[in-house]
Amino acid sequence: MDDLNEIEERLDNAAEVDPAAVAHLLARVHPRLQRALERIARPAARIGLIQSSVGPLFVAESDRGLLGVRFADCGGDTAILHAIRQKFDLRDDPAAADRIRDEIERALAGDHDAVANRPIDYSLVTSPFQRRAFARLRQVPPGSVVTYQALAAAIGAPSGQRAVGHAMATNPIPIFVPCHRVIKSDGSIGNYGGGVERKLKLLRAEGFRVDKGNRVPSEAVYGHWQSHIFCRPDCSAVRRSDRRKWIIFSDADRARVSGMRPCKLCCPIG
Amino acid sequence: MRRYEGEIMRFLVRSTRDHNDALDLFQETWLRAYRAYPRLDSAAGLRPWLYRIAANLCLNRTRAHVRRSRVIAEHPAPDENQFSTAAHTNSHDGVIHLRAAIERLPRKQRAALIMRKFGGLGYDEIAAALECSCESARASVYQALKKLKVILA
Repeated sequence: MDDLNEIEERLDNAAEVDPAAVAHLLARVHPRLQRALERIARPAARIGLIQSSVGPLFVAESDRGLLGVRFADCGGDTAILHAIRQKFDLRDDPAAADRIRDEIERALAGDHDAVANRPIDYSLVTSPFQRRAFARLRQVPPGSVVTYQALAAAIGAPSGQRAVGHAMATNPIPIFVPCHRVIKSDGSIGNYGGGVERKLKLLRAEGFRVDKGNRVPSEAVYGHWQSHIFCRPDCSAVRRSDRRKWIIFSDADRARVSGMRPCKLCCPIG
Repeated sequence: MRRYEGEIMRFLVRSTRDHNDALDLFQETWLRAYRAYPRLDSAAGLRPWLYRIAANLCLNRTRAHVRRSRVIAEHPAPDENQFSTAAHTNSHDGVIHLRAAIERLPRKQRAALIMRKFGGLGYDEIAAALECSCESARASVYQALKKLKVILA
């Protein structure tokens, strides 16, 4: 073993460095490195964990808009962190996270402007079909819901309700892209990534009531989102036209508040 | 990643003994690390991972030097040592021969040796960097030392 000691000693001697020289080298390399990194730099993503009225949320935004929202108690935040990290440099930013929380709280209290107008960065959404679905969904006003079928038809895929369902299930930006406003055609409430309880809570906060069986209530009216007229479900106008263009309000008042006019044929009011 | 700057630079200076090389390799290490960082699984593996990148670059780089170092060994010229281009390195014939000997080691042994002796990594970190077992890392270093003794005899 002595023989190896000699070798080790020679190695230790060869390992001597002058710390000043190292510092000097680092000083030289920093500006070069800075310039090189700027050329290949990824855009910044600001992330944070917030407490809200719908529970703890992980949020992320880029300069282009909101990137992602995860219900922290439903898991999946490691997956989204990994996905964001591929395209962005992560930065903890509690201030940005708090701003997002404030917008959510305002929406839950009835003021949906901030949430509705907040730009969304769809970088985490790889499929153009899904992007179309989300963009269209954002036009469904608070207080109303739409069926998977209606949404599919609205983006030009009349038999694409399962694809729409899958898109909703993988929506990276719930609440802001209101997948909680998508229900099943049979009137039942459907699924939700954050749990059905949350879906109901979000809908209730927006003024959409469900009946005791968590289904669309009998007083529900149908609104046409192009003509802005709302009708009873059995109105001939509804039966005649493509039912899929309609959004559903839980009652007439809600439809009116949303800016729709009552149908003259079926007189849904009174 | 910033906190490993100093030690990686020291590692590269020790491994190359050429300040310009060390500088280039440092920059290359950092750029590669930045690009590949999203694919890294856990923050705990960051240090061995950085050393792995730096060591690989060293190993690839020194191939070019092997040919030149043999020439130098035959015509020792302490003042024109191609390994030291700045005043702060301590180089003499002994170091040249040692470095030439290291470069003749098989790749894995060389990597393990420089990580251990020039990087100061623990065997578990070397194992993480080389993706082998702890025992394998330990054995590689030991075998490297034995081989160096033979080469330098």
